[in-house]
Amino acid sequence: MEIWRLPISASQRGKLISAGYTSLSSLSSISSSDLARELKVSESEAMNILNVASHSRGPETSNASCSIVEGAQSAWDMLHDEESLMHITTSSADLDNILGGGIHCKEVTEIGWSSLSLIVNSVLKYKLTTAFGSESIIFMLIGGVPGIGKTQLGIQIAVNVQIPNDFGGLGGKAVYIDTEGSFMVERAFQIAEACIEDMSEYNRFLRKDFQECKIKMQPQDILENIFYFRICSYTEQIALINYLDKFLSAHKDVKVIVVDSVTFHFRQDFDDMALRTRVLSGMALKLMNLAKRFSLAVVLLNQVTTKHTEASLQLALALGDSWSHTCTNRIVLYWNGNERYAYIDKSPSLRSASAAYSVTARGIRNSSSSCKRIKMM
Amino acid sequence: MTPQSLLQLTSQKCTTGCPILDRFLYGGIPCDSITEIVAESGSGKTQICLQLSLHAQLPVSHGGLAASSLYLHTEFPFPFRRLHQLCLSFRSSNAHHFPVNDNPCDRIFVQSVHTADHLLEIMSKTDPFIENSKNQVPVRLIVIDSIAALFRSDFDNTPFELKRRSSLFFKISSKLKALAKRFNLAVLVTNQVVDLVGPNEGINGLRIGNFGCLHTSGRRVCPALGLAWANCVNSRLFLSRNEEVIREENEKSNGQSCDFVKKKMRKLYVVFAPHLPESSCEFEITREGLFGVER
Repeated sequence: MEIWRLPISASQRGKLISAGYTSLSSLSSISSSDLARELKVSESEAMNILNVASHSRGPETSNASCSIVEGAQSAWDMLHDEESLMHITTSSADLDNILGGGIHCKEVTEIGWSSLSLIVNSVLKYKLTTAFGSESIIFMLIGGVPGIGKTQLGIQIAVNVQIPNDFGGLGGKAVYIDTEGSFMVERAFQIAEACIEDMSEYNRFLRKDFQECKIKMQPQDILENIFYFRICSYTEQIALINYLDKFLSAHKDVKVIVVDSVTFHFRQDFDDMALRTRVLSGMALKLMNLAKRFSLAVVLLNQVTTKHTEASLQLALALGDSWSHTCTNRIVLYWNGNERYAYIDKSPSLRSASAAYSVTARGIRNSSSSCKRIKMM
Repeated sequence: MTPQSLLQLTSQKCTTGCPILDRFLYGGIPCDSITEIVAESGSGKTQICLQLSLHAQLPVSHGGLAASSLYLHTEFPFPFRRLHQLCLSFRSSNAHHFPVNDNPCDRIFVQSVHTADHLLEIMSKTDPFIENSKNQVPVRLIVIDSIAALFRSDFDNTPFELKRRSSLFFKISSKLKALAKRFNLAVLVTNQVVDLVGPNEGINGLRIGNFGCLHTSGRRVCPALGLAWANCVNSRLFLSRNEEVIREENEKSNGQSCDFVKKKMRKLYVVFAPHLPESSCEFEITREGLFGVER
């Protein structure tokens, strides 16, 4: 429920809105003295506003469509909610499988809820199945070496989130934050074209009449629905993430935020590592918040770096250990022989597994040799 | 802050001057992006750089950028003679684009760089330089030949020094990317190779890009500057040079005799690039420049 429906005076409403309180839930956890100070009104007046607000949301709480206090929903309700969740496909069935896409609804649900923790490691960003739903968020970190296909995965996700509901997709839009300059429009166009072709193929197969849909969707439309931000410094990156709040309020149909890569600008000029950690976790928190408020998925891509431990070199995700704590789901992309693999490194609900994928002209697909692989097992 | 429209954001490419290579690279070297060329010495890195700085001057309708270029060289001496030679053939084959008595070399700004800090200092002055160049022919191409020469001697092999070194990589790269974005520049950087010892793929068994091993002159090599620098570039190309012995059988009246002919085989590989598939293309270097060979 929005603030302008509250039975309070126009001046009070104006003060509330200009102080940033636009929804009732934003008033749920504030004390009257804090509110009085922020709005520059008397404490009794603030108390009055809070009373009115808690009255207005009283009846709504009971039908649980808007829980004001975190966790006010029972686990049973949550389970039901989550069963209606949708997934973004990665276009690689094997990859979807290990990510629980479409199959392990329950697990995905849990991912959704534990999205309180963000996915922050992006070494390589690869495929993520993200669960979406009224209250679920996925925070995912994908990491890998250069050339493994992180950017390809990011583009694929930004395209796939737009697959219409009729085709089992989300029909949403994407925000793509490019810090490295690796996003190529021509590549996005190719992937979008292939995605539309696949949908019409699917159409024909099922003999359903989605004719209209087919005609409506053009690669140009898909490109138009990717909000692309190019970032050239870490200050810009922080500013943009602060601004996203406003942007997403105006674009409620955004269902995924892809950051490619979250790491790049933080790997220079930070002599004070403690400061860097604070800035990064602040950013992660904000993204998590956005994911929750707008029920969207956040996919972060990370680079890999080598770590010196006891005179040996180890491969590790960039930005240190505290960053890896913040992410709920972490996927590492790596080479195995001549094949690309994705490995679930950390997830509260998915068992660790790996799947081969390949990067083709049409985008991310199952590895061509996966049939052989299954036989071997 | 508003998002950029992808429909208006067309990625411009700068022609390499060879239609076969252009087709292989989907049009040439992309703007607003860093392209790296890795190769051992004598493989043609500098040739590509020189050729690109000339062809960037072609009008946009002919695949160029209608622009001048900034050439930062760290390896001495700068190959003026070769540039002049390439310039002559460039001018004769594109005479109609340039007035008589016009010298394309006038639009290549050459600057020597001695250390990494020197490079940063130069780059901080590049903004106003490019800004001013807009009045005449704008600078739309930056070449750094080579980045490896700046880093291969000055740093010790200790964790502290390596950390300082990779921090410098990211500083240089983000500055280059910011310039590339602001002025829509193409950036071409060359890098050297190091020999690979031991059975592993890559250094410490770390494979970067499409190929497990890169071979040149019969040796196994991998790009210098390690993983940190690999994170800093958008695309990486590799040039190999191998000598192939081809047996030519000459049928003569008195029977058969065999001649062994040594032939240089040069190949260009895509190690990784956001817009290019794994592929390779043969090329040769002639007096007129570097050209792809179609088989």
